[in-house]
Formats: sequence, C-alpha cells, structure tokens
Amino acid sequence: MGTISLEHSDRLYWLGRYTERVFTTLKSLQSLYDQMIDKSHKYEEYLAYFGLDNVYENNNDFIKKFLYDANNPNSIAFSLERTYDNGIVLREEISTEALSFLQLAKDTLIKSKNSKNTRLSLLPLEDLLFGFWGCIADNVYDDEIKNIIYCGKSVERLDLYLRMKYPFNEVEKAFTILCKNLRNFSKNTPYRYNTKYLSDLVEIIGTKDDYENNSQKAIFSLEHIFEEMKVNI
Amino acid sequence: MSAEINNNQFTQAVGSADEINELLRRYGVKFGIYKNGTFKEQFFPFDPIPRVITAQDFISIEKGLVQRVNALNEFLFDIYHEKKIVKDGIIPEDFIYISSGYLAQCEGITPKNKIYSHISGIDLVQAKNGEWYILEDNLRIPSGASYPLIARELTRIACSDAFTENKVVDNRNYAQLLKDTMDNANCGGIRAILTPGRYNAAYFEHSYLAELTDSVLVQNDELFVEDNILYHKTYSGGKTRIGVLYRRIADEYLDPLNFLPESLIGIPNLMEAYRSVNVGIINAPGNGVADDKGIYYFVPKMIKYYLGEEPILKNAPTYLPFYSEDRKYVLDNLDKLVIKDVAEAGGYGVVFGNELSKEKLSEFKETIIAEPRRFIAQEVIDFLDLPILDNGETVMRKADLRAFVLSGKETKVWASGLTRFSRNPNSFVVNSSQGGGFKDTWVLSR
Amino acid sequence: MKTVNFYFSTKLTFDDYIHDHSFALRIIPPETENQHILSCSLNISPYISTKQTIDAFGNNVTSGYIKDDHRFLDFEIKGYDEIDSEKHRTDFMPCYLYQSEYTTPDKDIIKFYLQNKDKCNSSNIAERTAFFSDLLSEIIEYKKDVTNTKTTASEAFALKQGVCQDFSHILLSILRLDRIPCRYIAGLAFCDGETHSWIEYWTGEHWEGFDPANNCPVNDDYLIISQGRDFRDCAIDRGIMFGRYTKQLQLVRSVLS
Repeated sequence: MGTISLEHSDRLYWLGRYTERVFTTLKSLQSLYDQMIDKSHKYEEYLAYFGLDNVYENNNDFIKKFLYDANNPNSIAFSLERTYDNGIVLREEISTEALSFLQLAKDTLIKSKNSKNTRLSLLPLEDLLFGFWGCIADNVYDDEIKNIIYCGKSVERLDLYLRMKYPFNEVEKAFTILCKNLRNFSKNTPYRYNTKYLSDLVEIIGTKDDYENNSQKAIFSLEHIFEEMKVNI
Repeated sequence: MSAEINNNQFTQAVGSADEINELLRRYGVKFGIYKNGTFKEQFFPFDPIPRVITAQDFISIEKGLVQRVNALNEFLFDIYHEKKIVKDGIIPEDFIYISSGYLAQCEGITPKNKIYSHISGIDLVQAKNGEWYILEDNLRIPSGASYPLIARELTRIACSDAFTENKVVDNRNYAQLLKDTMDNANCGGIRAILTPGRYNAAYFEHSYLAELTDSVLVQNDELFVEDNILYHKTYSGGKTRIGVLYRRIADEYLDPLNFLPESLIGIPNLMEAYRSVNVGIINAPGNGVADDKGIYYFVPKMIKYYLGEEPILKNAPTYLPFYSEDRKYVLDNLDKLVIKDVAEAGGYGVVFGNELSKEKLSEFKETIIAEPRRFIAQEVIDFLDLPILDNGETVMRKADLRAFVLSGKETKVWASGLTRFSRNPNSFVVNSSQGGGFKDTWVLSR
Repeated sequence: MKTVNFYFSTKLTFDDYIHDHSFALRIIPPETENQHILSCSLNISPYISTKQTIDAFGNNVTSGYIKDDHRFLDFEIKGYDEIDSEKHRTDFMPCYLYQSEYTTPDKDIIKFYLQNKDKCNSSNIAERTAFFSDLLSEIIEYKKDVTNTKTTASEAFALKQGVCQDFSHILLSILRLDRIPCRYIAGLAFCDGETHSWIEYWTGEHWEGFDPANNCPVNDDYLIISQGRDFRDCAIDRGIMFGRYTKQLQLVRSVLS
C-alpha cells in the first residue's frame, strides 16, 4: 500500500498512545494494589500526579473506578474503549489478528469485573496487550505505519513516566526510545519534532538532577513536541 | 434428484454454535445497525449447520450464473451505448428510462474491458422440488461475501473433522478472486476501497476485504481528483494515484458535481476521471438499470438476445402488471402472489398477498391499477427449508443463497456464498437488516 | 447565418479562504451542426491546470482542482462563431422523453395539461409546442428574484412567476407529458444580459429551438453553451470547496454581439 492519509496517521498515533496508556495504567494500578494491602487510602499520591480530586471512599472504590468506570477518563475501561475505537478503523493496516487482541482485552476487562480475585483476573489483560504488540511487530510490514504507532506509544510512555515521577533511569530509557522513533519522520509530516522543544527535553533528561528539578517543564515540552515551528523572517 | 435433496438435508452442526460465535466475536465480525436513532454494533448471528450444495448441483448453478452475469454485462454496455435491445423491441423503452437505476450521466461511458458488473450478488432459492430459482440480481454494491469467508476460516479451526469427512471446496480464494478482479479493472495505481465510514452497516466487510486484498481503505475526504486522475492524500502532503476504486457507496452519492449535489460522502469530478478511463470503478455507476426489479423479468430474454442461448437458471415465475394480460392475472390472483415494489430494497416493499385483509387487498389492487409500472408480482416459491439451531434444537427455516460472481479476465462463480435465513418461522424475509442470521455455504468437491 | 462575438465571465469571491476546491465548468460552447466555433479562449484565475471532457449530453466540461488557500475563482470565455439556425442537430437521446428532477410534474401541472391538451387540434409537434408556450406566456409572469436555481417546474408553476429557467422547466414538463422529447438549453442570447435558457424539442428527425420566456422560436441570435434534461445537467459552474467562508458573491457578465 504505502499510502497513509492524515486521518489514518492520526488514528495510528492515538492507537499507540491509548494502548500504552492502558498498559502503563494497568501496571501502576497493579503496583498500587500491592501497596494497598498494607495501607489504606494509598491512592492519594497517584491522584496528585494527575491533579485529580479525591472523591474516592477507599482503596476498593478507587481501584474499581480506575479499572471499570468507562465514564472516568482516567480509567482503563475508558482508555481501552478509545484504543479499540482507533483500532477498528485500522484493520487493513494493523491486521484482523491485532484487532482481535483488543476485542479480547475488552472482553477480559469486562469479565474481570465480576471476578473474585481482581489482580489475578487482570493478568491475561497484560498478556493480550503483549500479544497485540507482537502482532504489530510481526504483521505490519510497512515501517511508516509501525513508526507512527510506536511514536504514539513512546510519547505516551514518557508522558506518564514524567507525570508519575518514575525513576530517572526508566525515564531516560523511555526518552531514548522516543528519540529513535522521532528521527524517522521527515519534515513535512505532522510528527516532525519541533527542534526547540526537543532540545529542551534533551537538556532536562540529560542528568538526574535536571530531571528531578525540571520534570514539569519536560511535560510541557513533550506536549508541544509536534508543534509547527514558527519561522521568523 | 432425490439423492441431491437428501444431501442438502445436512443437519450436522459444525462445532458448537457458541464456540464459533465466540471466535466471530474475537475477530470482530460485526454488523452495524441503527436502533432508535443510535448506532449499535451487533454480532451477526451465525448458524453452525452449513448449507451444502452438491458438486453436481453446483456445476449447473455455476454455468447458469456465468451465463446470466455475462448477459447482464452485455445489456449494460448496450443500454449505455446503442440500445439495440430496446430498438429490437425486446424490452419496452419505459422500463429502462423510468428506472431510478438508469443514469443518463453514464451514457457513452465504456469502462475498461467493457465490464460493468465486476462483483454480482445473485440471490437464489431452492424449491422443494430441488430446482433453483433466481430471486434477484444485485449489481450495485452486493455485500456479504466476507461473512462466509471468515466463518469458514473459523469453523476450520473449531471443527476440522467436519472438513476431513466432507470434501468441501475451500472458499478462502475469495480474496484472490477479488484482488484479480480489481487488478483487471485497474487503470494504473493502487487498489482502494471506499467506505462511507465505520458507522456503515457493512463496515466490517469493507475493512476486512481491504486487509485481504491489500487495498487502502479510504473515505472521500482523503481523496481528490486532479487533472482527471484520482489521488489519495497522504499525511506527508503527497499524493498517491488510485487505479481502481471498489466503492461501497451508492451511485447517487458518488460525485456531487455529477449526481446529488448535496452528497457529503462523494468525490467531486470522480466521474470525469472515470470517463477518461483513468480510474476503474467497481461496480460501474449506472448498473442499477440492470438489477431493477422490473428489468429482472427480462433477464431470460437478454440471455437469448445477447448470447443466443437458453437460460440455464430460471427466474421465479413473474408477472408484470405493465402488460394488460399479466395485470389481469395479478389482480385475479393477488391473494396467492408476492408483490414487490421495484423502488424498494433490503426486504422492504415486499407484500405477501395472503397476509392482506380483504380491504387491504382491494386497496392494493387500486394502487396496482394506478401505478402498474411500480410493481412486479411473483408466485410464492415453495422454499426448501433449511435446518438451523435454535437454542439447541434443530428447527426448519426459510433461507436463500447469495452467490457471488466475479467478472475479471473471465467470469467466475465463487464456490460458496452467503446463506441467509429468517429467524422468524413465519417469515420469508431473510435480509440481515431485518434481523436474520447467516450460514456458511459448502460446495462439495465430489 | 450570422457571425457573433461572445463573452462570458464569472467572478466568485468568498469572505474567507477556501481550499480543496473542485469545480466543473460547462462553459465552452459545443461545436454543432448549427454553430461553428471559429475561436474560443477560456481564462481561469487563479491559474491552475484543467482538463477537458465531453459529458453524456455532449457538453464540454472543464474540470479543475485548487488545493491551496484562495479567496476567489474567476473565469471568462471569449470567442466568435457562426450560428446558422436553419441547420439542425440530430444528437438524440431517449431519456429526453422522460421527466427529470426539475421537470417532474405535480398534480397541478398534470391537471393543466389534461385540461388543455385537446384544445390544440394539431398533432404537429412544432404547433403543439407553440400552443403550450402560448398558454404559458398568458399565465406565467416573467419576474426576477422570486425563484432560484433550485426551483422546480412544479414550484414555479404554483408561483405563476419566474425567469427563463423556470419557463423552460415548465414547458419541458408539459411537452414530456405530451410525449414530445425535449431538452433544456443554457446559452447566450441577444435579448438577455445574463445567461439565457430555452428549450429544444424533437420533431422526430431533428431538434428545433424554442424560447418559452420570449414565446418565440430561436434564430441566429442564440448561442448554445450546454444542454441536458434540465438545469442540473447544464449548470455553467458547479463546485465543492472547504473552508470557513460564510458567503460567496457571484458576478456574472455576458455579451453577445
């Protein structure tokens, strides 16, 4: 094929972002769940990362709403629905097989709702997401398509890591992956990096100290990474 | 004949319905419908008992369908050029020009290789006496091939034994057939499938066929015509030439500068590119004149006229109230006939005379007298019912068969088809838009 | 026979930038038995490449696409040609016998037709056409700005008012009820400052022009630009564009001399 429309490139990018959002959110909820075994109201710090109001009664209430509440824009259910929405119009790019993993992921999440052991019932969801990424790696032979999805994925990962104040070495790795993807876009594409914001990021994520002091600015720079560069005449 | 019928009474389910429906879910085999104004995606209910067509039966169906589609393609070329069949008095002029499917804008256009109907969906039924009858031709955008195609893929996973025991012709060559057909119509460029979008009932099919034929799935805002060439706009600001467009939107919406000006899903000047043979359109615009319910009556005559052959497959016995002799018969026997409004599609506008009250019957007679050209009347065929599984029990239901005929270098009949059945025991209407389900169609190799 | 100069221009101006603008112009007069184009030039601004095709009705179609932002589209055509209304065209199409989108009669037109069809005791097609046109000129008033390009024959007939386009549509509707094949003509005429419209009816052997708005047969003062079943097939310019414009202004000027 080798021809990607603007609409589809946008879908591919957001498919990458939402899949990663589901995955990273899932991982951090699993880890929160673990800490909740020992501590009540363990979610407050997590809410603070995203500037969310604390309207939750207890650990269980929080977990349920962040997993299954499709009306909560920060929940897995919400993100997974967006993932699927983007995927469904990309069948011929990403393959029916890849799409089936998203359908299965949706079904698994719904099933998990009534399960006695939430954490156990969510393990297959991780497997399915890995399966999805395996399909993308294996079935998509057009590097351009792959790269747009991976670009979305790596932007999302870095963004979430920055917000959740992940350790420096993790953030550094996430940023390196993003840089590799960004290099593949030519100037006239919507995913061409803005030199100014990219160099800001390079500076901030250059050393551990800079990262710890300037993570807010890094989030801001990442948000603007695809902004068109203004040429001053 | 009786042996064939016994063969058709194949009642063994292939795997369990649950297993296969689970797999169909997994692969997103959905059907979009609007209910109370909101869009819903439903899984298309699959019945695991296949319809079986013997090798012997299929040979004659195949010959009959190839003959019919070849004649229909000749007819379309004739109508948009010399109109010999009208001049020779075989078809009354009125039937052509009053048909909403006739598009004067297509006069004089000759598509590449003179093929108008590349993908024809011909609906047949088998009567209790074993005879096959043609119910209608669909030469515009017949849908449904993807369902038996993916169902076969999945039943072979769920129940491979059934295929070891029964020698069934593999139907998964549809993708290659379609690809070859598209390539034959290609005027230089990539393959594209034009969809009205994910909220279309058949979106699954559009995207699945795009994947299988390695075509790009497009919507109108990604396309433009420049210098009478159709292009796909790329995200990097470039353009890619499209050589063949398998469009899944209706003629009227195809090009707002040539057809409905208010169409928001069309491509301006597509017809100029098409007229210049710079892009192939599958199927050709204007085909509606050949699958009009009124024209149906004349298809056997077309076969004799263009091919000089006797029709192999029969039409259901049909009457045209347009002819006074037929009108008299129709009015006298209305309570036994099925009446179809030629302007309606998708199982709508079909009235069974025996279901009408006395008042309705005489009201309807008035309508027929007032607008004889609007209706055709057919004898109710005594369908051969097919077994389906209903909550674990086998029950008999009405079913038809949509056969797919692809016209590329040669005209080929896909050795399978979409068998649709009515879930309602009293209904003859099998359209998926009216809540029916589907079966796989097996053609035996011996 | 007469040699005439023709000039026609349209200026389309938008109040905001538009882009992805596709258009189709039916503006180059066709070369026919009764009009011989001696010279003809078309200028389009902004400059873009265009293509010519001939549509099903025999019209010259100029199509183009402007991708980038622009706020206007101007086109003008000028040339000179020989018109000889004594000669006749024979490019028949059976669809001209059938009602089309703009001409489909409502109950009132049908009633009017049935009431009057037998009052003309001639079966001669030219006489019948003249007879129906006479009737129309008595009951329909020529009036601008009461109808627009979307007005159908039935709508104009109900208003009993309209311009040349409406006269043509109503007469086409009635002639088709009378089983006379006929077609819509868009063109330029001496008697009109803008584009004009009239009809042609099929005598059984050839086309004859008739101008219902002026209730007279056409002569050498009529230049045909396009023809079809009704206005929709003949629109001089049609376009589809994208942008946030709210208004477009169209200035038309035509001269036949």
